[in-house]
Amino acid sequence: MFKPNIPEYITDVDIVSFDDAKEMAPYKKRPRAMHVGAPGKHGYLRLGFEVDSSGKSILRDLDRRAPLIVQQELYFDAEMPEMPCVYILSSGGPNVDGDRYRQIFTVKKDAIAHVSTGAATKIASMLDNYSGLLQTITMEENSYMEYLPEPVIPCARARFISDTQLIVHETATLFYAEIYMAGRKYYNEGELFKFDIMSVCSHGERPDGNQLFREKFIIDPHRDPIRDIGIMHGYDVFANVIVMTPKDNIQSIYEKTPAFIDKEKHIAQGISRLPNNSGLLFKVLGMEPGPVKKIVREFCSTVRMQVKGKPVPPEFPWR
Amino acid sequence: MNLMYLLQMTDSQFPVGTFSFSNGLETASHLGIVHDAATLEEYTRSVAIQGAFSDGVAALLSFRGALKDDLEAVEKIDNGLLLFKMNDEARMMLQRMGRKMAELSVKLFPENSLIHSWLDDIKNGTTAGMFPIAQGLSFAAAGLSEKELFASHQYGVINMVLGASLRCVRVSHYDTQLILQKLSADVEQLYETAKDMTFEDMNSFVPEMDIFASMHEKGNMRMFMN
Repeated sequence: MFKPNIPEYITDVDIVSFDDAKEMAPYKKRPRAMHVGAPGKHGYLRLGFEVDSSGKSILRDLDRRAPLIVQQELYFDAEMPEMPCVYILSSGGPNVDGDRYRQIFTVKKDAIAHVSTGAATKIASMLDNYSGLLQTITMEENSYMEYLPEPVIPCARARFISDTQLIVHETATLFYAEIYMAGRKYYNEGELFKFDIMSVCSHGERPDGNQLFREKFIIDPHRDPIRDIGIMHGYDVFANVIVMTPKDNIQSIYEKTPAFIDKEKHIAQGISRLPNNSGLLFKVLGMEPGPVKKIVREFCSTVRMQVKGKPVPPEFPWR
Repeated sequence: MNLMYLLQMTDSQFPVGTFSFSNGLETASHLGIVHDAATLEEYTRSVAIQGAFSDGVAALLSFRGALKDDLEAVEKIDNGLLLFKMNDEARMMLQRMGRKMAELSVKLFPENSLIHSWLDDIKNGTTAGMFPIAQGLSFAAAGLSEKELFASHQYGVINMVLGASLRCVRVSHYDTQLILQKLSADVEQLYETAKDMTFEDMNSFVPEMDIFASMHEKGNMRMFMN
């Protein structure tokens, strides 16, 4: 085995660990490749949006560690040209064995922002350990953010866990979307549900710590009959969207958003109200990422119309 | 005597209103997705698994809190479980059944001060009053074991769907009893996983069922309340 004769440097940010999570217990071996916490495989990204003295929302605070990269904000949204938009990129390609990520986004009072990723997040095949992401998103008074990343694609034997804390003021709106593919659908014979585990937890709270909701799903093809009716059945793509918004917006968005299963097009969507009048949960099932992304974007447009009175423009054709 | 309590509180005649709910089956049946014994078995298995790792865990945690007479711990898991319920009908079902069971349990176990205090707190709005918590408290009061509680919980979840299926799916009593027998065989293994889980470990992944629930909530079908 290759053994580099160099000291084990550790990144200078707090190490993210999910070693206490029971579902990750089988995946805690020391990676045979670069160790956990090594610079370059412990991404860190801190983004802070705020309103400057001219009243414009800007990306005021940016700190990052490889492999995560964010360059300066751009103002490319045709319907909201005043909104800073950033794409998160990863110089390392896929998440690999033993990767850890920490993301901290803050949108200050009255600020607006749109955050996405430059490409799909691939979770590579793993032998020893897992990839983990710890996120905190804080939305101050009357702030607005759309977090609309590209899908996550877990390869065979991938292991991934995330924990996302959403701290949202009762006057703010957060649109938080995640899209998960079942795997590399067209690779060799197909790699659908060949990953080891995907554990995803999102929990919402008010700035005073009052807990609003908690959603945790574990997709474990070794444990559960994922293809059964009620779970993923015949679908290959799953989107989960959390909208935290003032309670006056909730009923209107709920009523404008239909729930359906289209058996011909193999696509389905549903919406429900989160506990404590804190927002909405929107779910989509489909066969390919394109139609699912389109539905999620349309739903984002419904939310933006309700909150900002403007639609989301059509997606760029190269996305 | 303990065995009699187990039978009493597991019986579908136990008046907490389980017959009013279908756990999404009404929509799945209406769409023709659940239409025979094989598809009913698949769907019921999905319901049973998600029940085991969410409500089943909450029932076990509240049972252990009850054995320590720890009202604070019981109400923490009660309010925590409410945060975990992502649609109105699920919250309504568990709170309605929970309150009914609490009201019945104070009569069945009049000496048990914990259930009395919990019911008082449901009435004054400081605790959610969820059904799995009521099961945990009542089973502890009856001197039953947590394994018996978990088995009863899983039986209730499975039987709720199978009972509803006799009214909306083309299956016979023979079919539903065979499905019950098959799914009962999984309960031991589910318990082995659930017994070590904490509130932080509780999880649920049934996206298609969530969409059924959303369609039911937005639709006009009302043979069942969910």
